[in-house]
Amino acid sequence: MKRHHYETDHPEFYVAMATPGGQGGGALSTRGGARRMKWALELTLGNARGRGDRQSNQGVVMYPIGYSDKPVPDTSIQESDKNLVEKRCWDVALGPLKQIPMNLFIMYMSGNTISIFPIMMVCMMAWRPIQALMSMSATFKLLENSNQQWLQGLVYSVGNLLGSALAIYKCQSMGLLPTHSSDWLAFIEPPVRMEIMGGGMVL
Amino acid sequence: MHPPSLVVTFTKKSSVKMAKLTSLFVILLSFFRISEAVFEDQVGKFDWRQQYVGKTLFAHFEANTQSSKKLFVATDKNIFASFNSRTGDLLWRHVDKTGPEGTIDILLLHGQDALMVVGDGRLLRSWDTNIGGLNWEAVLDTGSFQAACFVAIQDTVKLVSVLKKAAISLHYLSNGHQKWVENLPDSDAVQYQAVYSGGEEEVYVLGVVPNSHLTIIAYSLEDGEIIKQRSVEASWLSSVESSCVVIGQGVLMCVDPATLALYTLPIQAEETPEFSQILLQSLDLEVSPGFQPVLVSSQPHPARSPLSEFFLQLGPDHHVLLQLNADGYTIVPLRDFQPAFLVSFATTGKKTVAAVMTPKNETACAINLFSVDSGRRLLDTTVFFPLEPNDGKPHALYVHAFLKKDDSVGYRVLVQTQDHALTFIQQPGRVVWTREEALADVVTMEMVDLPLTGTQAELEGEFGKKAAIQDGLFPMVLKRLSSQVTLLQAWLAHLWKLFYEARKPRSQVKNEVTIETLSRDEFNLQKMMVMVTASGKLFGIDSKSGSILWKHYLENVQPNAAFKLIVQRTTAHFPHPPQCTLLVKDKDTGLATLHVFNPIFGRKSHIALPALPRPILQSLLLPVIDQDYAKVLLLVDDQYKVTAFPSTKNVLQQLQEMASSIFFYLIRSDQGNLSGFRLRKDLSTERIWEVVLPTEVQKIVAVKGKRPNEHVHSQGRVMGDRSVLYKYLNPNLLAVVTESTDTHPERAFVGVFLVDGVTGRIIHEAVQRKARGPVHFVHSENWVVYEYWNTKSRRNEFSVLELFEGTELYNSTVFSSLDRPHLPQVLQQTYIFPSPITTMEATLTEKGITSRHLLVGLPSGAILSLPKMFLDPRRPEVVTEHSREENLIPYAPEMPIRTEWFINYNQTVARVKGIYTAPSGLESTCLVVAYGLDIYQTRVYPSKQFDVLKDDYDYVLISSVLFALFFATMISKRLAQVKLLNRAWR
Repeated sequence: MKRHHYETDHPEFYVAMATPGGQGGGALSTRGGARRMKWALELTLGNARGRGDRQSNQGVVMYPIGYSDKPVPDTSIQESDKNLVEKRCWDVALGPLKQIPMNLFIMYMSGNTISIFPIMMVCMMAWRPIQALMSMSATFKLLENSNQQWLQGLVYSVGNLLGSALAIYKCQSMGLLPTHSSDWLAFIEPPVRMEIMGGGMVL
Repeated sequence: MHPPSLVVTFTKKSSVKMAKLTSLFVILLSFFRISEAVFEDQVGKFDWRQQYVGKTLFAHFEANTQSSKKLFVATDKNIFASFNSRTGDLLWRHVDKTGPEGTIDILLLHGQDALMVVGDGRLLRSWDTNIGGLNWEAVLDTGSFQAACFVAIQDTVKLVSVLKKAAISLHYLSNGHQKWVENLPDSDAVQYQAVYSGGEEEVYVLGVVPNSHLTIIAYSLEDGEIIKQRSVEASWLSSVESSCVVIGQGVLMCVDPATLALYTLPIQAEETPEFSQILLQSLDLEVSPGFQPVLVSSQPHPARSPLSEFFLQLGPDHHVLLQLNADGYTIVPLRDFQPAFLVSFATTGKKTVAAVMTPKNETACAINLFSVDSGRRLLDTTVFFPLEPNDGKPHALYVHAFLKKDDSVGYRVLVQTQDHALTFIQQPGRVVWTREEALADVVTMEMVDLPLTGTQAELEGEFGKKAAIQDGLFPMVLKRLSSQVTLLQAWLAHLWKLFYEARKPRSQVKNEVTIETLSRDEFNLQKMMVMVTASGKLFGIDSKSGSILWKHYLENVQPNAAFKLIVQRTTAHFPHPPQCTLLVKDKDTGLATLHVFNPIFGRKSHIALPALPRPILQSLLLPVIDQDYAKVLLLVDDQYKVTAFPSTKNVLQQLQEMASSIFFYLIRSDQGNLSGFRLRKDLSTERIWEVVLPTEVQKIVAVKGKRPNEHVHSQGRVMGDRSVLYKYLNPNLLAVVTESTDTHPERAFVGVFLVDGVTGRIIHEAVQRKARGPVHFVHSENWVVYEYWNTKSRRNEFSVLELFEGTELYNSTVFSSLDRPHLPQVLQQTYIFPSPITTMEATLTEKGITSRHLLVGLPSGAILSLPKMFLDPRRPEVVTEHSREENLIPYAPEMPIRTEWFINYNQTVARVKGIYTAPSGLESTCLVVAYGLDIYQTRVYPSKQFDVLKDDYDYVLISSVLFALFFATMISKRLAQVKLLNRAWR
């Protein structure tokens, strides 16, 4: 799965590369003695705060004029950012649905016998969608930035519902659902007796 | 090995498969056979057995020395037994066949040999009294037994003669071989009744032609030749046995109640003898009106002639010691004993004494020894026999006399009372032991819960309805406080007792149960067993220890009376005492009496009893209670009128309201008639149905309804496809068993009819062809199990009938027999059982959740706990997925008997007659009492003890692990905190 970095651990690259998604930055890192070059071009003029840099035998470095400590938000790339948010939101929304094939496979593998592992699987399968549905509001917060928030929310909940339906189906096939009359047998009260009868052989 | 425990944990999450799984669990467990039987250290922990012998007919003491310990009795239960006379314990016991085949006709004791004639003269047996082994057994010729006596040749007893109706035989004492047998002359007309030998060369046989003449025949010991034959005119004599004895030098002494005279006759006289008459008046003796005088004589040694002193009983408590003078014609009265209940002779060495029991006061009788020669009282020989108000009157006296070191006569005495109890008394007047032999014939019994302890009861009573009405607010607060204080006191006392007893060694801690300390235990496992015996004596026995806590003797109970014991009020209604009612019906007059008593203390309740002038046919206990919480008992008389007991206004009003829903049924076995009645508002009845089973073809043997205290937890059975097969639980269903009158093996049959007791509708009938009784059966829940003898295959068979309503319930809230259009589905299966059985009962538990077992009494004395699972008509012949899911055992025609199913291990119960089961406070546990000749009490756990921790549960290990884990958590929590803090500082 592809990962998107909106921030990196190295704030120095914001200045240098001006692209938030810069992945090649690592190549220019001077940290790690193994890849130490004979010489290196330090674009950031050193960073006194970086712990790793503290070990480099450099003295105190002055910031250049106009350098700001905070990264400057780049407003020029708003459009692609939006798309990414959208994409990420869809990922969140589709997550439960993507789980389903995996669950089906586990279900098939675990079989219908009642023993500790199938029971644990079923519990997990049932519990995760329920947990997700219970924390719906948190998920909605995550999807806040998306335009298709409602659609995504719907897809997300449908996915979870499908997941729990699957769990219920599994319970059903394992015979754990009270769907038969025998499951309610213990709750049937003995009928009230209308007549009183007694007697016996003549003494 | 133990996955089921996990399974159970998970089923709690889904109460769905629960029932199924628990049943699986139970079945799995039941296959682990190890836990089935009793462990060695559990022997006698929860169970006890008491052995009895029955009503004593003959009793003899071992040789007359002071140190002898043995006592031999032969009883009406065909038992020959020996007791240790110091403790009353059974040394050995021989149980013979029941019925006339095993009847003990006579028991004679000589030295080490005990001679016994068994089965109305069928067998002659000699026993070694030391070890109770059989010396020899000889089969006698046919003919009913009349009399037997030892015969001595030259001062040593070598022979025994047995007189039968038409023959006399002589047998050697050493090996039982017959010396000779002779037919008696003219035995059709003459009733030979007595045989006498006094150490001479002859043996004399006495016979009588009633109201005509007496016949005396002398046989030669050598070859059985008739030496003499005399006939004496005796028109007043009807029976030698009841009115004549031989005394002195062969003088026949007879008493005639009509002429009030004694007659003497020398047996050995050469010439034709004549009876000489001595009028009682001439001796200044008077017979009580209507009393048949009785003679008592004694022959101390068979080789010598009897004593010339004898007792004459003139009234119920009037005896006279008389002496026959040497001339053989005159009589001297030695001493007059009035009042005197019982008299007996006893001989030791050369001395013979007479023991006389005289009433002393209300609570005791005195027994004194008298010299036979002079009639003088021997000094320091008085012994007191306590007369309990709840025991019977003294009935027989057996005296064991011995010579003390100073040559004076000492004695011990065995007193038999009318209630069959035996009491052994030593000389200073100490009761050494008492045996309640009435318990050898228990007729019916009930188990009653014990009352709560005093403090518990006080708490219960404090907030009773009545209390709240009577008291105001303030007294209630005071009451509350005071009861709290008493509770605290009781708790402190309990703690103190625990502490005090913990210091003592375990063996010294006494757990004596007395009637004062009786209280219900935590799980209601200890109960009061109320037992009714055929002799009319009632017993209250503590079920835990088997000790008799109270007894009550009902006098004037006919030997064949019918008993019905009813618990009208249990202990649950404090402060009202529990109440039991015993209905005793006299078979001859048909009249019934009620005995109302408190089952815990045995005391008779002083409640106004209803007058029962008419014969009572049956009784019926209603679930209706009166204002004092006593259930109402209805008594039906021969005019089908009903008497209510108690019959307060409240009860009568309730009865009027409910009359239309009260039904009863009566079965007249002699007429083959079953009829049902409905109660009218005026307490009369109307017959609403009648079923007649022609008595020429079959006769009704038994009928059983369901036990009223039975609870059925599950209303149906879960099938393999998880649907439900509902049980047909008709509370009014009766199982009627009939047997054919034709006993030919090809035509004999056994019928089982299931009849609805309200409507008379025959729900099902099963006829087992080529089968014969006796049928033993159990009717419970929705099944009937019966056992019979298959005459074709010649084996015992078990058959089970199970009734199901189907997959739909007709009416799940209310059961009315009047509204049941559909007949149930009936399933039946039959199995071969490898043993005959004597009785059968089903286990019973509080809520009916525990699986059922059948308790089967076998003739061997073992009690088999047979899982009902094996008697299930749904057992498949071909195993399918569904049947496996249901845990049905595949059908196998043979029913196994596994020795670990014997609940009484080696404690066999002789002649099991009945098994009583009662629920305890624990659902897993059922209390069982098996009674017959012996009484055996135990507990059974049909589904194992699922609600109790095992005895060997390791409390120490579990609690130490728990504590260790707890401390480990605490420590690791602390460590984690420290580590977090350190990290934060870095």
